[in-house]
Amino acid sequence: MKKVGIVEVTQSPGAESSLSLMEFTYKTVKELLDKVGMRRDEVDTYVMASSDVLHSGMSCANSFDIDATGGFLKPFSRTEGDAITAFVYGCMRIMSGNYDTALIVGLIKGSENADNDTITSCFADPFYSRPTGINETTAAAMQMRLYLQRYGITEEQCAKVVVKNLGNALFNPYTHIKKRVSVEDVLGSERICDPLKAMECAPKSDGVCAMLLASEEKAKELTDKPVWFKGWGASMDTFYLGDRDLLDTPLKSAAASAYKMAGISNPRKAIDMAEICEPYAFQELLWCEQLGLCGQGEGGKLIDSGATQMNGSLPVNPSGGVLAMNPYVSRGLYRVAEAALQIKGKAGEHQIDKKVNTALAHATYGFCGQWQGVVILGS
Amino acid sequence: MGRAVGIIGTGQTKHGRRDDVSYPDLVREAVNAAFEDAGITPEDIDGVVFGSMPSMMEGMAYNHFYFADAMRAVGKPILRAETCGSTGQSIAHTGVHWVSSGMADIVLVVGSEKQHEGDAQATMMTILEPFLQLSAGGAPVAFSMQSREWMGYYHIAEEKAREAAAIISVDCHNAGANNPLAHIRKRFTKEEVMNAPIITYPVRLLDVCPSSDGACAVIFASEEKAKKICETPAWVKGMGFRGEEYFIGDSSKAVWQSAIEASREAYKQAGITNPRKELDVAEIYNPFSYQELMFLECLGLCPLGKAADYVIDGVFSPGGELSCDPSGGVLCTNPIGATGLIRLAEAAMQVTGKAGSRQIEGAKLALSHAMGGAEQFNGVTIVGSEL
Repeated sequence: MKKVGIVEVTQSPGAESSLSLMEFTYKTVKELLDKVGMRRDEVDTYVMASSDVLHSGMSCANSFDIDATGGFLKPFSRTEGDAITAFVYGCMRIMSGNYDTALIVGLIKGSENADNDTITSCFADPFYSRPTGINETTAAAMQMRLYLQRYGITEEQCAKVVVKNLGNALFNPYTHIKKRVSVEDVLGSERICDPLKAMECAPKSDGVCAMLLASEEKAKELTDKPVWFKGWGASMDTFYLGDRDLLDTPLKSAAASAYKMAGISNPRKAIDMAEICEPYAFQELLWCEQLGLCGQGEGGKLIDSGATQMNGSLPVNPSGGVLAMNPYVSRGLYRVAEAALQIKGKAGEHQIDKKVNTALAHATYGFCGQWQGVVILGS
Repeated sequence: MGRAVGIIGTGQTKHGRRDDVSYPDLVREAVNAAFEDAGITPEDIDGVVFGSMPSMMEGMAYNHFYFADAMRAVGKPILRAETCGSTGQSIAHTGVHWVSSGMADIVLVVGSEKQHEGDAQATMMTILEPFLQLSAGGAPVAFSMQSREWMGYYHIAEEKAREAAAIISVDCHNAGANNPLAHIRKRFTKEEVMNAPIITYPVRLLDVCPSSDGACAVIFASEEKAKKICETPAWVKGMGFRGEEYFIGDSSKAVWQSAIEASREAYKQAGITNPRKELDVAEIYNPFSYQELMFLECLGLCPLGKAADYVIDGVFSPGGELSCDPSGGVLCTNPIGATGLIRLAEAAMQVTGKAGSRQIEGAKLALSHAMGGAEQFNGVTIVGSEL
């Protein structure tokens, strides 16, 4: 299989933006093109990710977005769903040999959307599930309850994830929530859906992430430090929550495929850092288990050990994660971008101390993580 | 191009008003038909691509979650691609790239729509942003304006354009009557088309596609697997996709660059220099009969500004130089998320001799096409019987 390299990444500022969606998108894309010194027509193909339901009230999102992404009259496509799929599709387009460079854009302006859960309630089928009032948060609360009960994980351990990630976010200029919090603050915040507390749930953010991918030869030409795409895996769970074991998720098989492709047999040893999608704090612990970064039911011990801290043996979400910045559609591409920056050594103030050779980026969406995707990057 | 990719199976539902099945059941009908056609089982599939129109159409957000089981996608990687009306072509291209990249050997691609459970035009109104363009909303308005732009640009007499569009409508409805899966299966005369009620001038009722329930599934495989599994794969010879600027006034819709460039890329990959002569079948996305005239020009099947003359001369009618939409086209069947993929499935069936009552004798090379967005996107896939 052909190699694909990440040449460069850019992210929009974390704060809510007063720019129009088109200008908001354009700025980040233009910054990327300027950084690599290319014009939009010199890029071979474009893949963008945006959502029709999380898109400022406009359907067929790519119709509106195409101007600002620079992809008009160029080979173009768009994935709907998490933007990590746009990254993977961009890699596929290069690996097929049809194109040498691909520009990937994930975009959303959460501040122009309804509350995320107004929209996630429409994931439920209209006949059986939706009348119960289910949405991503209520589904996550059930998953958390089960997690606490089955493995004896404590609410303090879950709260520690918030403390860690918001603490990391203070060093990342591209995050939305800037706030130092304590375990007591988290536990004392409003119980919005027991046992989930308000501070354990991700915000709703504005975020554009753009990335230039290139074939091996072209990547070496465009940057002296390409980050290589090493593997990916994805998996889908069955639809109805009652048919699933919420603590035994498709993330296991997604990770297994990604590790296999990347030639990783022992992820705990091989992975130097991980960017994990944790819209609800406890999910960082659960996903670490499912990714094989710790044993089953040992997510609580993992956070207690300090291993996942910025200076630990396996830093998780040095960027601050989704708890600090939740541009719903593009958040998966943010994970890949942050992992790439860590490998490049260009993460700035939140650069971790040790050398990063292999990094993991994870994305998920749907009730209790119905869809799961994992990308492995390497130096 | 990377690894060669072949189509080893296609499946479609009976299209139309399908109150008899739930939406997941509708999807499953197409998926099962594709597995039956390919002679493989869901266990053989490495990955799944799904696409439909925006969630607002049927009131389900990210409906691939809902269809995970119906698509037999549980435990498998699934990608969702979407480009409005051209979704069917975009999901096919995603599937082809997936196999071609070497990261999968067999990929199932599924497109669907169940339009009787929602309001398609209400959804399409929201493609246009709410400040400057909303008053031009809805597909008939935009496409009627485009028809007028085209007639004006080339000084085409209104009567001539009217007659040509009526011939396309008559041909497609005749073909639809001959296709057991088509939604509209009724023949009309040229006079009936020309005297049908006005929708938005100059477009009349019989110039417009229906709103259908339907799904389509296509299975792609690598060269090695395709040769092993299938006696007659349809080989993917070329693909192209282009989009234009968002605001309708920013680009010419009479000389439609996205269609011109998308087809050029596909022809180049397929090594086609004279498409009208080399192609045996063209499955053109024709939700409006007038639009097909523009597509015939912009897809390079006749000179620019001359489509009406060619159509009146019978060049694209049954028995003419190039058969267009022997399935009845979009004018007879339009479950939007599936429509572009149906074009490809029909093209694949033609080049593999599986098209039954609508088979064009000896077809070896076929074009499929779809259009979407605010008159913005055009996608083309060419398939052939030989690698």
